[in-house]
Amino acid sequence: MLPRFSYVRAQSLDEAIAQLGPDDTRVAAGGSDLLGCLRDEVFACSKVVSLSRLDELRGVRVDSRGGVRIGALTTIATVASDPVVNERYPVLAQAARAVASPQLRHQGTIGGNICQKPRCWYYRGEFHCRRKGGSTCYAIAGENQFHCILGGRGCFIVHPSDTAPALVALDATVQIAGRSGTRRIPLAEFHVSPRDDIRRETVLEASEVVTAIDIPAPPRGLRSSYRKVRTRGAWDFALAGVALALEFDGGTVRAGRVVLSGVAPVPWRAEAVERVLIGQALTPEVAARAGEAAVEGARPLKRNGYKVPLVRGVVREALLALA
Amino acid sequence: MNDHPDARYYTEGIELPETEVSTDLEPWGETRVVGQPRPRVDGYERVSGTAVYPADITLPGMLYGAILRCPHPHAVVTAVDVRRAAAMPGVRAVLTAFTPLDRATQPHADLIRTRLFDTHCRFQGEAVAAVAAETPYQARDALRTIQVQYEERPFLSDERNALAPDAPLVREGGNRVREPQIYERGDVEQGFADADVVLEQEYRNECEIHTPMELHGCVARWDGDRLVLWESTQGVYNVQMQVAAALGMPFSMVRVVGPYMGGGFGSKLQTGKYSIAAALLAKTTARPVKLVLTREETLLAVGNRPPSTMRLKAGVKRDGTITAMEFWGSGASGAEPAGGASLLDWPVRDTYSCANVRTELTDLYLNAGPARPFRAPGHPQGAWALEQMMDALAEAIDMDPVALRVRNVPAVSQARGNVPYTSTGLRQCLEQGAEAFGWDEARTQIAESGNGGTVRRGIGVAAGLWVAGGGGPPSTAVVKLFADGSVNLNMGASDIGTGTKTVMAMVVAEELGVDPDAVEIEHADTGSTQFATGSGGSKTVPTESPAVRAAAVDVKRQLLELAAGELEVDQSTLALRDGQVVSTADPSVARPLSGLRSLRRRRNLTGVGYRGPNPAGKAVTPFAAQFCEVEVDTATGEVTILRFLAAHDSGRVMNRLTYQNQVFGGITMGIGFGLTEERILDVDRTGKMVNLNWHDYKLPTMLDVPVDMTCLPIDLNDTECNATGAKGIGEPATIPTAAAIGNAIYHATGVRVTHTPVDPLRLVDALAQAGEG
Amino acid sequence: MTGDPSDGDGRPMPDRRGISRRGFLTTMGTGVLSTAAAGQLTAQPTEVPDVLGANELIKVALDINGRTHEALVEPRWSLAHVLREELELTGTKVGCDRGECGACTVLLDGLPRYACLTLAVEAEDREIVTIEGLLAGEELGPVQQAFLEEDAYQCGYCTSGQIIAAEGLLRHDGNPTDEAIRHSMSGNLCRCGAYPHIVTAVRRAAELKRAGGAS
Repeated sequence: MLPRFSYVRAQSLDEAIAQLGPDDTRVAAGGSDLLGCLRDEVFACSKVVSLSRLDELRGVRVDSRGGVRIGALTTIATVASDPVVNERYPVLAQAARAVASPQLRHQGTIGGNICQKPRCWYYRGEFHCRRKGGSTCYAIAGENQFHCILGGRGCFIVHPSDTAPALVALDATVQIAGRSGTRRIPLAEFHVSPRDDIRRETVLEASEVVTAIDIPAPPRGLRSSYRKVRTRGAWDFALAGVALALEFDGGTVRAGRVVLSGVAPVPWRAEAVERVLIGQALTPEVAARAGEAAVEGARPLKRNGYKVPLVRGVVREALLALA
Repeated sequence: MNDHPDARYYTEGIELPETEVSTDLEPWGETRVVGQPRPRVDGYERVSGTAVYPADITLPGMLYGAILRCPHPHAVVTAVDVRRAAAMPGVRAVLTAFTPLDRATQPHADLIRTRLFDTHCRFQGEAVAAVAAETPYQARDALRTIQVQYEERPFLSDERNALAPDAPLVREGGNRVREPQIYERGDVEQGFADADVVLEQEYRNECEIHTPMELHGCVARWDGDRLVLWESTQGVYNVQMQVAAALGMPFSMVRVVGPYMGGGFGSKLQTGKYSIAAALLAKTTARPVKLVLTREETLLAVGNRPPSTMRLKAGVKRDGTITAMEFWGSGASGAEPAGGASLLDWPVRDTYSCANVRTELTDLYLNAGPARPFRAPGHPQGAWALEQMMDALAEAIDMDPVALRVRNVPAVSQARGNVPYTSTGLRQCLEQGAEAFGWDEARTQIAESGNGGTVRRGIGVAAGLWVAGGGGPPSTAVVKLFADGSVNLNMGASDIGTGTKTVMAMVVAEELGVDPDAVEIEHADTGSTQFATGSGGSKTVPTESPAVRAAAVDVKRQLLELAAGELEVDQSTLALRDGQVVSTADPSVARPLSGLRSLRRRRNLTGVGYRGPNPAGKAVTPFAAQFCEVEVDTATGEVTILRFLAAHDSGRVMNRLTYQNQVFGGITMGIGFGLTEERILDVDRTGKMVNLNWHDYKLPTMLDVPVDMTCLPIDLNDTECNATGAKGIGEPATIPTAAAIGNAIYHATGVRVTHTPVDPLRLVDALAQAGEG
Repeated sequence: MTGDPSDGDGRPMPDRRGISRRGFLTTMGTGVLSTAAAGQLTAQPTEVPDVLGANELIKVALDINGRTHEALVEPRWSLAHVLREELELTGTKVGCDRGECGACTVLLDGLPRYACLTLAVEAEDREIVTIEGLLAGEELGPVQQAFLEEDAYQCGYCTSGQIIAAEGLLRHDGNPTDEAIRHSMSGNLCRCGAYPHIVTAVRRAAELKRAGGAS
């Protein structure tokens, strides 16, 4: 049973932006994450601005340079089944299919998916944690089995999205509309680490809306995949996962990105892994070294030490599957 | 513990009346209807959305109730300010411990051991206040404004620390619910001395929560001084007696109605505070009140399978003789006495032949929601220990795990003083199950494959028995046959989703020769149906079906007597078939029931049936063996279950279709217990439950369960257990599952994880420690 | 057992004449407009954009099972709440009210969605199908028939949602593989564990649909 809020269903993007601004105004794209947060009273919300009438923000279109533009309101299900996405960017199609449940994939949007709030149960629960303006991170000495082993400081969330790591791996760009026009930033710079600002997850300002995601044309020799490990077969966030977008010359990795999910507060670019891979064929030995590199610098908490062998294992396995 | 463990689970707190006993019924020979696969008689209602569950009821003028719950694991309420809440739009009543409403502040019935709004809250989720408002949203709004002053107390959130010298006290008398319960037979020390191999292992199961799909809840309405409750319950008479006791009312003035309910698994055998609160809110406002809990509340406050820690020491000779077993089990009742260690030791005591057994159970308090019976209390846990130990023993003496179990099938119930079972199919479950599963072939194949890659296969077996499942008195059923040949069955039992109504219609149809769909059933209503105990413990069919059969036979006798007179033939030559009276001697004699003048004159015939006692000096016990094949990804700790086969001796199969559904459902629940489900308390910091939703408390989904499941009934024609030959199936089906999976994981990886749930968190850790993965 | 929505006790049917597209009413009483309050209704001048106040009741017209149902709702009310408590279409169940179980699954424009996680105001202009909408008169639809025949349920509480999820699948894939069935049905929990029978039932439903409907 949600608390009260006022509601406006914007007829245009300009209208939506005009309605935004105050911190307790919230954007609803698909609404699945927002309504969950409102139900759990994670944050205050006096007004919901719904984007659901903005059909111009839906759809997957091939752009003139051979890349694709995905409207922010395109549902996860649409992304998962889109033939162009499946053909050119398997990593994104696979990540989209790994999201939540079929119903939520029909509701949730790609824009909303990369803007998700953390699933940390202290953040979602009735705990006044640092991310909510309090002075304590309950996870540090608490039940931190699903928390990060990389990149935490003061807050140990993991980024919940499956599609964001895939998009970072594909070097995607986010288009953002606000009062002063639009701006574009690489998705790799879209998410905010707690090291930089513990109170926010993205660079979006309160009056801004993600309108589209652009993915460049697939580079020559691109092979990509997303592998997610979770406790149950559906409806579960990643314990650990890896998005691979590697460019091959024959059997040798020429370039590419490796991005981890489920282990860090933001989609985690594993550059150490990339360094191991470049110039190499994906042999079992290289894959094993890459797995080791993936957990370099990992600092497990009391209950999430399992993520170290898990990341090692999933990276190794995903690489060998792509070989 | 009660001397009759069979009786304990269902009837705790309820005095059982003695009833008359129907005369003995001959065992069925060949049956025509019973045993067939048959869709449910209420299938149309359930698939069309027209079945009315309690939460579906809307009454004129109805209000919505909601309960404010203590957010702390242990606190004392010192003040509650409801002024803002009471003044909010739509709010019609607010009740707290400080409301001057006598009955709300009195201690309640046996099963609700605290006051309705007790100021001493010993678990997160204890009720603190209740409101009624015009909409459920307004009711929630009102709860948000209630100001409660809590004095927080030290809390205990891991029962393994309950007996430490500095442990916070959950209750004033100490953290033991009762003195340790000890069972002993033979001489375990001698037994261990006689063994060739002695193994000892600790096992742990985390707390599992029932979370039936339908939320707990009710609609309460007063008709003058009489209370009507539409309640989602497994036993309308349980609720009637408990609510009446709580409110100081005569039983007859509390009518509890619950014809459809959306699952309970033990958590709806008793009433909850919410029903008392709804009744009082309805009384206060003079309006009907619907009070349905939230999912979060059901995770906190309406029961669980308690966490347990077990240690099992077992000795075996090289020839497979088990020489001794010693078992220590402890579990957490929660904040109230609720059987935290109940029946953990029963599998060890009774499953296999062993002359020397000692068990010790310790029941502990914890600042967390009280336990309630959960599908085979104690048994999946006890089997988790025993059945993995059996595998380890088999390996230690280089014997096949199935063979070791078969070698030790007992002839009698050792835990009951060596009384014989009415039937024991344990050997057949193991042998025929292994055969149908292809056990030997699969073991050979896996061994020959080397099984050395990242993804490895394994197979596992586990057996089990269920302490109850024989049912017993009391039960009364009434069958009415009308002049047109249609039939009413009146019984008090709830159909909790197991297909009880369909089975009973089939029993009536079997005796009266009518179509099961022609049997209309009134049930689960204390105002209009016969007495029954709660539906739980796999005892509903063995309890109710003999009573129903007796009632149908009573009608049949009367009918054949009338027909013999009217048709002027010898009664002994008459039978009932296809809605007709027929003569077995003369095929030309056949009269539709509606064509019997003598029946038309009577308008109807009414038969009454009672459940007779179980056979003296015998134990009625269902047995099981389950087999599974898994694939383990040693790099990630992911387990994929490829197939399951379940061989069950549950006596006569009453309905092949619903029987199979029960078996598959039990396996599914066992998969959750073994692989995904766990209550997580913030033990080191706040003591609060952190995963109180269905995202973080993980039930198995469609993708966690294999499509390849096989149900193999072992029907030994038990003519002794009762008049229909049925034993329970619901709980046995979930007892061996987790242990079978654990054994298969071990077979695949050589790593034994003794702590459930065996999710990738635990398994990848264990594999890494073992140098695998 | 259920009350008649048109009966006079506390929940009278509103006189809808004169109510603007944007009904305005503070939530004094029940969700359905009361006659006493109806007199206070005033048409609002059209503003752009039109913010619906947190305390307002807004009239929505929902296209459910091919018929238009009007209801007065608060912005925060879920579609599941409005279906069940306002329109008395109680075939749609609520198991969690958090989008975590699937009991409330309905079709929105042909796609399975959680009604508990969908605001009623957002369901306007969408075609909504609930379990009741799969009946042809009193006859079961093919998916319902298949669930009955295969015993693809136990307590029945998740069943409406399961059937709707299956219906959603079969509208897009008339002959799904077992894997497609399992994935499409993975957003619906069944605590009784009828999953294996559900797979069989969806297969059977596909057959029945291909054959032209239920027997």
